[in-house]
Amino acid sequence: MTMTRRATLGALAASPLLASPAVHAQAPTEIVFNYPIAVGGPIPRLIDGYCEEFARENPRFRIKPIYAGSYQDTLTKTLTAMRGGDAPQLACLLAVDIFTLIEEDAILAWEDMAGVEKPWLDGFYPGFMENSRARGKTWGIPFQRSTIVTYWNKEAFREAGLDPETPPQNWAQQVEFAQKLTKRQGDNVTQWGIQIPSSGFPYWLFQGLTTQADVRLMNADGNRTFFNDPKVAEALQYWMDLSQRHRVHPGGIVEWGTTPRDFFERKTAMMWTTTGNLTNVRRNAPFPFGVGMLPAGRRLGSPTGGGNLYVFKSANAAQREGAVRFARFLTTPERAAHWGIETGYVAVTPAAFETPAMRAYVADFPAAAVARDQLPHAVAELSTHENQRVTKALNDNLQAGLLGRKQAGPAMADAQAEAERILRRYR
Amino acid sequence: MSGRIGSIVEHAAAWLLGLVWVAPLLYAVWAAIHPQGYSTRFELFAPLTLENFAAAWDAAPFARYFLNTFILVTMVLVAQFVLCTLAAFVFARSEFRGSGLLFGLVLLQLMIMPDVLLVENYRSMRALGLVDTILAIGLPYMASAFGIFLLRQTFKQIPRELEEAARVEGCGTMAILLRVYVPLAKPTYLAYGLTSVSYHWNNFLWPLVITNTVETRPLTVGLSVFASTDQGIDWAIISAATLMTSAPLLLGFLMFQRQFVQSFMRAGIR
Repeated sequence: MTMTRRATLGALAASPLLASPAVHAQAPTEIVFNYPIAVGGPIPRLIDGYCEEFARENPRFRIKPIYAGSYQDTLTKTLTAMRGGDAPQLACLLAVDIFTLIEEDAILAWEDMAGVEKPWLDGFYPGFMENSRARGKTWGIPFQRSTIVTYWNKEAFREAGLDPETPPQNWAQQVEFAQKLTKRQGDNVTQWGIQIPSSGFPYWLFQGLTTQADVRLMNADGNRTFFNDPKVAEALQYWMDLSQRHRVHPGGIVEWGTTPRDFFERKTAMMWTTTGNLTNVRRNAPFPFGVGMLPAGRRLGSPTGGGNLYVFKSANAAQREGAVRFARFLTTPERAAHWGIETGYVAVTPAAFETPAMRAYVADFPAAAVARDQLPHAVAELSTHENQRVTKALNDNLQAGLLGRKQAGPAMADAQAEAERILRRYR
Repeated sequence: MSGRIGSIVEHAAAWLLGLVWVAPLLYAVWAAIHPQGYSTRFELFAPLTLENFAAAWDAAPFARYFLNTFILVTMVLVAQFVLCTLAAFVFARSEFRGSGLLFGLVLLQLMIMPDVLLVENYRSMRALGLVDTILAIGLPYMASAFGIFLLRQTFKQIPRELEEAARVEGCGTMAILLRVYVPLAKPTYLAYGLTSVSYHWNNFLWPLVITNTVETRPLTVGLSVFASTDQGIDWAIISAATLMTSAPLLLGFLMFQRQFVQSFMRAGIR
């Protein structure tokens, strides 16, 4: 029996005429795609839908989407699988993981793959590409990206005698507005003027302040930080003063997760948070609200945030081709617009904002365009080699400042000393 | 007189501790059965709703996840009971060259955090061709050092006279184990079973890493959909989902509370 089967196979292989249809009937190339969920809504259904649509248009490839938890979980799962010899071919991970992934020798530069052309790579907002390029190459394709904006309660503005249509334009005005908006009953505050969350990843919101103070936190190679620049301390001092001097911002650490809820419940009249919250706020705020750019210090500014698409070295030639096609498929203007509207993430290309669907959406909900208009002023999110350790050094010292345990200057000097120690060997 | 005051103080302290313990649970119930706006506002006559449960149930295929978790904890528990019983019996009742060293090696496992072994475990599962199966989630936990240790201590306390009596009656080694040791260690089994079930019911990282599809993933992975960090926390729906997924454990505990508490006292796990 075995002999006959072998003989048949031999005959098949020997005859190109017979063998070629067999090649065509091959199963489609499978591409494993790990993705995280960081906003509410039916994300798995959306992703599954995209994958099915892609399979219909490209029958040679099949994307296998795998939900992998939060961004942190997705990185853990992906790297564990990789070290176990079982890496996915495509993953959506934080844009700031770029140096970690390059160091692990895990990912491919997009330019090194067939089917990647310069016009496509240049079609994204430059603000998003800052975190996606290193060493002269592009490692990540912007996919679910966000930035920080101000949300304000128009009712509270009216009550405080402020123009409900205008958010604060600069730092001084932000303090002034917040003073008018803070409601006190004896020693108790029933409504704070402003909340800037400081739990979990305070460095990200802090970067809004430092960018406005016109200073960069790190170099493009990710091996040097500038935490001890006087302007950085100035930014921290401003943040500390909001609560410690002006008393318009809750003292201590402000929770990221509950800040939107504080806003809905009128415990704060203004908040800084991600554009990823747009859909959430739109659905749950019981009062008219506004969305605006962050106020200017010396300049306007905000960091970008969110996730990029990475291709892993485990992918063979066919899988690489499929991964490139899928990334291009996800970032076509129509699909980028659809993804942005459904999730609240910022559509990643200017072309997406020109699609009829996005135009109609923006006409109905102008807040959706604020993030886009702020993008020209946006900078890369803090990202260095040994990213987790360096950001932890900064986070710990920021929180020490906000808790009143350290002065702004010494806190930032300590953060810089720690970052120096970690980064020295990468130069 | 002073005795009465003492007992009043004792009771008050017990009630206070009980309240502190049950407060998060009461809050979860409150948040789950009221509309979102009442999550942090306590009004006695706030409108009740079951919508949070419906929304939570819809957000992920929880029916399948329940089944997977149930299969997982049952499988792990049965395997642990069999393996730990046999190993513990050997360590408790037979002396052989190197038995002390061997037992030391088993105990060493207690000091290693399972998370450290993530990559190695993944490699083993891949080599066995088990990635993305329920068996792969449970396999690394089946030979539990904690279970072996606990049962060995229990078996050691059982008087040898009972074993000898059984032998006189004509019992073989296996029969002695099953008829004398196992029945006498019932409280330990119950206590250990509870810790094991609740651990595997709650385990998150390893199941997430080793599984890829709805068909194999347990409840915790489904629950993580609600921890959407970019957007802040929706207490109402998280509470509903948490209550829903922990309900079987909670009900089981409340029903067999007395037995559990007694077993814990006797088994010395606290």
